[in-house]
Amino acid sequence: MKFILPLLILCSSYISNAQNNTIVAGEKLTYTASYNMSGLLNDLAQVTMETSEVKTSKSTLLKLKCTATTYSKWDNFFKIRDLYESYVSPKTLTPYLYNRDINEGGYEKFMKYTFSHKTKTVSSIMRKPRADGSIWEVKKSVKIGGSTRDLVTTLYHIRNLDIHKANVGDSQNFTVLFDNKETVVRIKLLGKETLNTALGRKECYKLAISLNNSNVLKGSNDNVIWLTADENKIPVYAKFKIAVGSGELKIKSATGLKY
Amino acid sequence: MKKLFLILGFIAAILALILAVTPLFKIAFIPAIAALLFGLLTLFVSKDKQQYKKPIQLVFLMTIIALVLTTYKTVYTESEVGNTEQMEQKEEQLEEESIQELEDLEIDELEIE
Repeated sequence: MKFILPLLILCSSYISNAQNNTIVAGEKLTYTASYNMSGLLNDLAQVTMETSEVKTSKSTLLKLKCTATTYSKWDNFFKIRDLYESYVSPKTLTPYLYNRDINEGGYEKFMKYTFSHKTKTVSSIMRKPRADGSIWEVKKSVKIGGSTRDLVTTLYHIRNLDIHKANVGDSQNFTVLFDNKETVVRIKLLGKETLNTALGRKECYKLAISLNNSNVLKGSNDNVIWLTADENKIPVYAKFKIAVGSGELKIKSATGLKY
Repeated sequence: MKKLFLILGFIAAILALILAVTPLFKIAFIPAIAALLFGLLTLFVSKDKQQYKKPIQLVFLMTIIALVLTTYKTVYTESEVGNTEQMEQKEEQLEEESIQELEDLEIDELEIE
């Protein structure tokens, strides 16, 4: 009995690590994306993160959806209608299918990944319209590592981490499949901060995001995301450094949370 | 010197005016203030007050138009999401496709680290 008890505790903690206990269906988070130059905020787009339940004849899955839509004043200049979605297991957040349909100022692209975790491969389909109106389709099979996820699932997976167990300065790497390439994203806990948000005053975890071998995000600790330091761990604020000025993502509303 | 200030003033005023009509109108405050400063500097630097009277008036006029427009837009423009009908249709279509694909897919409760 003496030996079994610690073993049981160890096992249960291992299981709870991999289990999803943060994200439920019916959650909706709305953000405003803005461009900040010398303190002058310019609203660019609305970003939403939504979850819903999807039923197939055999199982029930969780659909994670992220959209980005420019505000109407921008539509004549640079219209963005981006859709990212991922179908995952509600228990473990393991991705099965990922769709990305983007339309950014006339540039259109569609990507679909079908994950096969047993064989560690992803079959991807890319579709792009040609100038003459016909559609260019590329099918590919990509080998992935054991812990590779898509972009949307990674975002939700970060919320499902046991951040309260981590120490300040701890970091973790995540492998993200994007444009048929595996990219390593590094998340580092910078500490705790209290922020004034649209949801009220919240104590938050401050996390720095950096990409290995990519120069999309500049600086090492300049791209920061704040997650509430409660059970929901919702991202309330994010800041990204770009060439001139900075980009911001601020929460506007949050509904359907678990806790 | 005064010529340089005047040219800079003109450039800033035109930039402010252009920015004021784009959706990035809030940034127009920066060149507008710069244009006002350059206009005033030209006025102070030039001894002969009559020399650049007309161009300075033009700089001020453009700046004031830009400022009024920007302030008006800042107060009255609300950020609204445009037409998303197309995206919603696409999403429904994608969901139907995806569900069909997921039916064929073997869903196993695998855990990845």
